[in-house]
Order: sequence, then C-alpha cells, then structure tokens
Amino acid sequence: MQASLIVAAVGFGLVTASILAIAAVGFTLQYAITNILNIAYGDVMTACAFAAYVLNASGVNIWVCVVAGALFGAFFSLLLNRFVFTAFLRHRTPLYGMIIVSLGVGLIIQNLLLAIGGPNFFSYDAPSGSTVRLGAIHLTQSQIAIMALSVAIMLAVHLLLRHTTLGKAMRATASNPALARVSGIRTDRIVDIAWMLSGALCGVAGVVLVVNTATFAASTGSSFLVIIIAAAVLGGVGHPYGAMLGALTIGLATELSATMISPAYKDVAAFVILAIVLLVRPQGIMAALRTEATGGI
Amino acid sequence: MSGAVQFYISTLLVYLAVDVMACWALNLQFGVAGLMNFAFIIFQAAGAYTAAVLTLGSPDASGNFQSYVFGSSMPFPLPLLAAAAVGAVLSLVVGLITLRRLRSDYQAMVMLVVSIIATTVVTNEIRLFNGPAGLSTIPQPLADVLNLDPLDYQWFYVAMSVVICAVVYFFVHRITVSPLGRTLRAVRDNDAAAAALGKDVTRMRMFAFVVGGAIAAVSGAVLVQFIGAWAPGGWLYPETFVLLGAVIIGGRGNQLGSIVGALLLPVGFAEATRFLPPIGRPGLIDALQWVAIGLLILLFLWFRPQGIFPERRRTFDGSGTPNRAWTR
Amino acid sequence: MIGSALTAQNAAGQSPALLSVRDVHQRFGGVSACSGVSFDVQDGTITGLIGPNGAGKSTMVSIIGGALRPTSGSVLFEGHDVTGKLPHELSRLGLTRTFQTSSEFSRLTVLENLLVAAPSQVGETFLGALRGRRYWLAQERARVGQARELLSRFDMRDKESDLAGDLSGGQKRLVEIMRALMTKPKFLLLDEPMVGVHPDLALRLAEHLERLRDEGVTMLMVEHEMSIVERLCDPVIVMAQGTVLVETPMRQLRQHQAVVDAYLAG
Repeated sequence: MQASLIVAAVGFGLVTASILAIAAVGFTLQYAITNILNIAYGDVMTACAFAAYVLNASGVNIWVCVVAGALFGAFFSLLLNRFVFTAFLRHRTPLYGMIIVSLGVGLIIQNLLLAIGGPNFFSYDAPSGSTVRLGAIHLTQSQIAIMALSVAIMLAVHLLLRHTTLGKAMRATASNPALARVSGIRTDRIVDIAWMLSGALCGVAGVVLVVNTATFAASTGSSFLVIIIAAAVLGGVGHPYGAMLGALTIGLATELSATMISPAYKDVAAFVILAIVLLVRPQGIMAALRTEATGGI
Repeated sequence: MSGAVQFYISTLLVYLAVDVMACWALNLQFGVAGLMNFAFIIFQAAGAYTAAVLTLGSPDASGNFQSYVFGSSMPFPLPLLAAAAVGAVLSLVVGLITLRRLRSDYQAMVMLVVSIIATTVVTNEIRLFNGPAGLSTIPQPLADVLNLDPLDYQWFYVAMSVVICAVVYFFVHRITVSPLGRTLRAVRDNDAAAAALGKDVTRMRMFAFVVGGAIAAVSGAVLVQFIGAWAPGGWLYPETFVLLGAVIIGGRGNQLGSIVGALLLPVGFAEATRFLPPIGRPGLIDALQWVAIGLLILLFLWFRPQGIFPERRRTFDGSGTPNRAWTR
Repeated sequence: MIGSALTAQNAAGQSPALLSVRDVHQRFGGVSACSGVSFDVQDGTITGLIGPNGAGKSTMVSIIGGALRPTSGSVLFEGHDVTGKLPHELSRLGLTRTFQTSSEFSRLTVLENLLVAAPSQVGETFLGALRGRRYWLAQERARVGQARELLSRFDMRDKESDLAGDLSGGQKRLVEIMRALMTKPKFLLLDEPMVGVHPDLALRLAEHLERLRDEGVTMLMVEHEMSIVERLCDPVIVMAQGTVLVETPMRQLRQHQAVVDAYLAG
C-alpha cells in the first residue's frame, strides 16, 4: 500500500473526525444532562439537513444554511424535549422505557421525511472549492472549512463548560441533579438549554455531513448514528472531552480501514473498536483518566 | 373457498405462526427477562440463512448463479435444528459482548449498532451471502417426498408451522411458569437485589438471550423455507421494532399477548395496507406505515404500557401449588 | 491507641468474629472514602455501625456486600477471605445484604418476592424448568409454606398476592427483610432498615430482629436513629471521616469523648 494513500486517508479521517466530533459532543452532552440515550438523534440530524436543503434550494449560501441548521436543530430538539421526552418522564415512564420512546420518535421523524421528500437523494448547491494540497493530503476548501468550524466549536464548548457560570451549572446538573436543584440551580432551565445546545450541534453536524458527502436521503442520519454511538461510547458516554477523543479515533479508524481494507467495511472498523471497548472497558477512555470522584462532565 | 383465497389465507397463517414464534422469543428476552434486544432481527435472519444454505444444493453445481457456503441439501428437520444451534451460538457471542455490566438502555443502543453493522457486513460479503441479491430457489421441505399439489402443500406447511409453534410454546411456557421464569422476572425488576439474593444475573440474562435467539432463528428458518428466498434487505434493523411493537402492544410478559400483538402488528397492519388503493407516490404508504407503527408504540407506552394482555399475576392455592392461568 | 485496645479485647478470649474487616482503604479518584478501616462483628450479635454523614458507612456496606472492591485491605467471613467476591457469591456463603432504597421486585407478588430468595431451587435450572411441574412442584410447595410462615410472623399474610410495587414504604421494607431471611443467612447486612418506616412498624421490626438474633442470625446494622441503635445494637462501631473511631459495647458508648466530638462536628 502506498504511503501516500495512507496519508491521504489520514486527511479524510480528520474531516470525518471533525464532523463526528460535533455530533458526538452533542449526543453525549444530551445524555450527560438528561440521562436519556436519544437514538432519534441521527434522525434529527437528517431533519436539520433537510431544513438546510430547503433553504439552500431557494438560493441561500450553504454556510448560512449551516447556521440555519443549527437554529432549526436547537428549536426542534427543545420542542421534542418539552412535548415528548419530559412528558413521558413525568408520566412515570422508567428510564429504560425512554430509549423505546426515542426509538419511536426516530421512526416517526425518519419516515415523515421519507413520506414528504420521497425515496430520493438530495444534494446541496455547495461548491467544494479548489483542492488544497499538504504533501500527500488532498482536501477541498469546504473540507478545511469544516475542520476549522469543528475546532472552533470544540473550543467554544470547552470555554462554555469550564469558564462560564452556565457551564458550571450544566456540570453540576450532570453530576448530581438533586444537589444542583437544592443549591439554587434552575435545573429545568438547564435541561432546556442542554437540549438546545445539543440540538444545535446536531444540526451543524447534519448539514456539514451532507456538505462533505454531497448527497443525503431520509436514512442518512440514522446510518451515521452508528459511528456517533461508537465515538461516544469509546470516550465514555456523558464525557464531552471523551467524545472528542473518540471522534478522532473513530474518524481516523474508519477512513484508514476504508483505504486499507475495503470501503464497504468503514463502519465495521468502528464497530470492532466499540466491541473491544465494551469488552475491556465499558466506561470508556475518559472514565479511566477521570480525576473527579463522581461522574459528570 | 376459491383457490386464490385459500392460498392467501394459508400464506397469512404461516406468516402468523412465524411472527408468533418470533414474538414469543422476543417476549422471553424483553418481556420476561427485561433485555432490550434491539438486534433481534439478525438472529431470525441468521436462522433463515442457515436453513437456506443447508437446504440448497452445492454452490458449484453447474448452472448455479449464486455464491454461498455449504449447500448440503439437508432434509427436513435438520436445517431447523441447525438454525436453532446457530441462533444460540450467535446469541452467546453477542451476549458475551453486550450483556455484562451495561445498563439496559445502553445495551439496547449497542445492540442496535450490532444490528446495523451485521446488515452492512452481510450485504457486502458476496462470497458468503451472495451480496444484496441474497439467496433464492431455496427448496421446500419434504416437497419431493410428499408430492402434493401447490395448494395442498400450502396447507401442509401451515400444519407443520403450527406443530413447530407448539414445540416452541412448550419451551417458552415451561420456562416462564417455573421458578426459573420467576427468577428471570426478578432480575428484570431489580438486578442488584437479585444478585444480593444469590442470583447470577449475567448467567440468567445470557440464558434468556440464548434461548430467545435459538427460537428466533427457528422462526426465520420456517419462514425462509416457505418463501424460498432470503435477502439482507428483508432483515433490516427496523424489522426488530415491528416485533418489539407487537410485544409491547400485545402485552409484555404474556404469551397470549404475543399472539395478539403478532396478529395486530406484523400480520394485521402489513396486510391492511395491501388492500389500500395506491395513494401518492410509490413508497408513501410504506413510509406512513412506519410513522403509524412509531405512533402506536408511543401511544401504548403512554396509555397502556403493560399492553393489551398484561403479565399475569401469579397466585398460589392453599396447598402452595401455583394457580394455572385460567383459574382465579 | 484505640486499635490496640481492640486487639487486647480479642486476645482476651472472645470467639473468632464471624465477619472481619482488615485495614480497608477505598479511594475514588482523588477522594479517600475509607482509610484503614478495621473491625470485627462477633457471632450472635446485632452490631451497630453508626457515624455522621460522610463517615464512610455506605462505602463499607458496599464493600462488605460485594458491590465494591476495596482499593486495599480485606474482608473475612467465617475466617475465609471474601474480598472482591460478587454479591451473589456472598449470598451463597450466607452473607445477605438489604438495601436502603426500595429494592423490591415490583412486578412480582409479595409471595413471589420471598420465593425468589429461596436457595437451591430445582426448578431454577433450564432442565429443571423443562421437566415441568411434576419435577419442581414438591419443593415449591414446601418453599411456599416457609414463605407463608414468615409472612404470618410479620403480619403480611393477607398481602401475599399483592404486587410488591403497590406496597407502602414500610411494607416494602418488611418484604426486603423477609426476603433476606428466606436465604437462611448466617449474616445479615442491614442498610438503614428503619428509614421511612412508621414508628409502630419500626417497633415490631425491632422485635423481629431481636428474635432473629436469638435464633442465631448475626447482624451488622447501619442506622442513624439512635433510639433504635440503643435498643438493638450491642456492640456499636463508630465511624467518622473514613476511619473507625471506636468499637465498643453499647453501655460504654457515651463515655468515649471522641464519639461525642465526632457527632457534634459532623
């Protein structure tokens, strides 16, 4: 195998990792604060990609549509929480029942999109720009923009969590909701904000995923969910920094295995990593490096 | 009754038998033992595939256009037994990775991933599984021995399916009404407490998972030998949710519930849309069907999570003998 | 100094302890929950484990109950090292633990809750289940008889067919104790058994526990309610800030200044 091919794969892997990081951090934040494993997350991504498509098709620049996707995702997730998830929780649905609820929601979203849009593939009017070369790495301007966006978002999330009052409140709610409430934190507000934030990340991820892969269909998001879960579990579900590390690992692993083994087995590499993690250390990477006594971000 | 109607009804009955067995298996795993097996469909698919490759003729035979392994032309009932074994072994492997130390919703999520990956692998492995086209011309059991005309063979197959159903029921029923079933339910309700009382929680879960997997595989084998074809596209991950919906709606932890659920959802729902006029573009009705399934699951989880026939409350008579299901 | 006093007592010829905790340390990341905890629980006693919040009592319960493996140190049961053994293994050795929060099997009846706990059920294996009623019915009826006796003793016979999840908090607590008793334990680890229990019921429960002790069951009881501790427990182990302050007979408890200080501070 030519070294240049492998290096090129690393380049693509970094792009995938960038998209995956945004998605995985959103997914894991949602879990950290709400304790719900939301498998409708992938389908919300598709919905946001769709919303961006509608806007883009009427002539709006794709990068503006990324913002629109974020806003749509935030709003949509907030509504989902208010009208569905919280409602079921208040209705005394046990936590293990909530994953079935999220399953139902995902089914509905994906098939409504299928019903409305038809079994077609959609593409954005998003010129990828000229190719930039860095040694054996070839990346389009779009891809570089995606990576830059991802780094910016990771930094923003980091600053939010570590250096703002809101971030501290979120971390407190994540590690001990009862204690947080008693200390005066409006945990229901925090939950709303968490859904909006993760919804926004979900939206951005959905749109940039399509920018990178050129086309999408109703099932794109739920297919991508497989590696989002792999990245989140690898890093330790509920740990955002772990999700970033997990995304990097899985992103590189999938692209390298696609190049070195076969493109059809991209996701299988992620699955193998996931299986190994579950066998050896189900809590994930971050749990091993954690310094806090209790859980939390 | 005209031949066409008989054909249709006998086909439905076979589908019903297959779905009932699958629901009983999923009910054992989910309703009784509390395992959220979101990968259920791959075990049914594995059983179907096993039966297919064991009953087909050799893949190297001249004129053969499919690629697969074995091709041993095994006679009935060996493929069914082999399918059960494959289902059990596959469950063992998946269970060992996912059932230990994980929270139940976490398990469910991981099993979903397993399901999706399995489909990806199978669709791409041309040598073993003949790729997306799958396998066809799978021979029907005992067809050449009995030499029946097609309609009579249909009814024969219905009778055979019912017999296999009865065998499955024997296993599922005996497990559920015994102290073993009670312990499984205890592990479902509170695994930490069950462990504190001396129960090996992982072993209990593996047990339910493996038996359920074996039964799922048998149901797949019965189906594939009826239809004569097997393609990965027919065993995608959403199919698990139709069966899960059937178990939830019919009543989890209740075998009669599984029958009713199977009648309503996989059979009833799917067949109801067959009689609708084609509205809108192709695929619209299918998509709306899935929306309806999702809504039904949510509605039941909200209004009646125990299902139509809830789990039976076990009582004992004066001498300490457990009361049968039909006494009160 | 306290440690040597303990050793001196043991050397004075007491029977070997049923349960011994030796120099247990438990760290969670950077936080130390227990440092150098050692104590004995003598056969045939109801030993109290008390102390202010954060003393490390819950951690010790988790360790002794097998839910947690200590960072270092050992737990001995009947002279054998059982450190790190899983809860179900400990239960089979005769050490059963109850939980602070409701842990009933909510969708099983009260009677079924008790039946689950019975050890060595022949109908609990795959082959046993397949062999059907004829095989396991006799043992089942005997176990139902035992369970009903227990239920009568605790005045809950009329609730036998109620779903455990529908019971009141106090009733659930009783079910837990009865369930633990069905395992015919040698040693009961009671984690705050009186929490949320009506005072009348608590009194009855205390009587039951005394009777159990007289029948030979040893108990280690974590409890905050001092009136209960004073009535039932002798000796008492006091913990604070992750260590054992003292292990003393009940009547000498108030004499230990360190204990009073710990409670005032904690």
